Amino acid sequence: MKLYVKVALFVVLVIAIGGILAGLYLFNKKHTDTSTAKPDYLVTATVLQKEFEDNEKNASAKYINKILEVSGSIASVTPAGNTNFNITLKTGSDMSSVICTFPSTGDPSKYKMGDEITLRGECSGYLMDVLLNNCALVASRK
Amino acid sequence: MKRLFFLLLFLNIIFAANAQKFMTKNGYIGFYSKTSMEEIKADNNQVVGALDTSTGEMVFQALIKSFHFDRALMEEHFNENYMESDKFPKSVFKGKITNLSSVDFAKSGTYDVTVEGDLTIHDITNKVSIKGTIEVISGGINANSKFNIIPEDYKINIPGVVREKINKNLEVTVTMKYSPITNK
Repeated sequence: MKLYVKVALFVVLVIAIGGILAGLYLFNKKHTDTSTAKPDYLVTATVLQKEFEDNEKNASAKYINKILEVSGSIASVTPAGNTNFNITLKTGSDMSSVICTFPSTGDPSKYKMGDEITLRGECSGYLMDVLLNNCALVASRK
Repeated sequence: MKRLFFLLLFLNIIFAANAQKFMTKNGYIGFYSKTSMEEIKADNNQVVGALDTSTGEMVFQALIKSFHFDRALMEEHFNENYMESDKFPKSVFKGKITNLSSVDFAKSGTYDVTVEGDLTIHDITNKVSIKGTIEVISGGINANSKFNIIPEDYKINIPGVVREKINKNLEVTVTMKYSPITNK
């Protein structure tokens, strides 16, 4: 074989292996680990809810798909449909709060109504409340 | 005097109606698909649901971005390629229990119901009839259902190669635990 054929074959092989590895990496890509990820915004539950209530469009553009570190007081801890659980944070509004879904690896018995906590999660948007998913606890002050 | 009578009657209706409305903001909707090539499961624990026991009306609302997959890439494709959740962030169902008379909301028990209404996914609205159960418990009401939907009915286009990995029918599971709306 001529040298340039060898080189060409080698290049094709490298590209193919690279492609397979990249594909496998993407396929097995994990969700952002919110317990260690750097937050895009630090905000209180009250301010976050108010921003969505005042201007949903602007708040959506600012927060959706971003990692938020949110502080607030626990209004309720609710077991959700499967093994996850939701923590609802109090805001300035009676009707609307910040609802945070924790993965099944969390322990709901750690949390009590009235606890002041800081958590990190990915913002999904606004329904009647601001919704955060994939949440992790950052700090808790009882 | 007559006016007072009507005022009392009116207030009575408001209070009575309030006691008949139930709600949750922590409802669950999940979907599941299994083929020989792939198993797909997504969970949403942030579903808002309301039930009016006097009329049998049921409303559900969910954010598409609140559906959580095990694989991050799958969640990304679901949002960006198939559901276009930036353009169509919400899914809504509005309907009515058609056999309301067969449910005794005063008596604990599980009742089979059929709910008919409009289901909006991906900005496409279809009339659907869904079977489920209403479970009357002390202090609340649970609603459960399992039904199938076909993505193509909602103009969700899945390219051929990927389509084979996803079951033609997606199985949807709904689990709601309602509490009465208390009057302030």
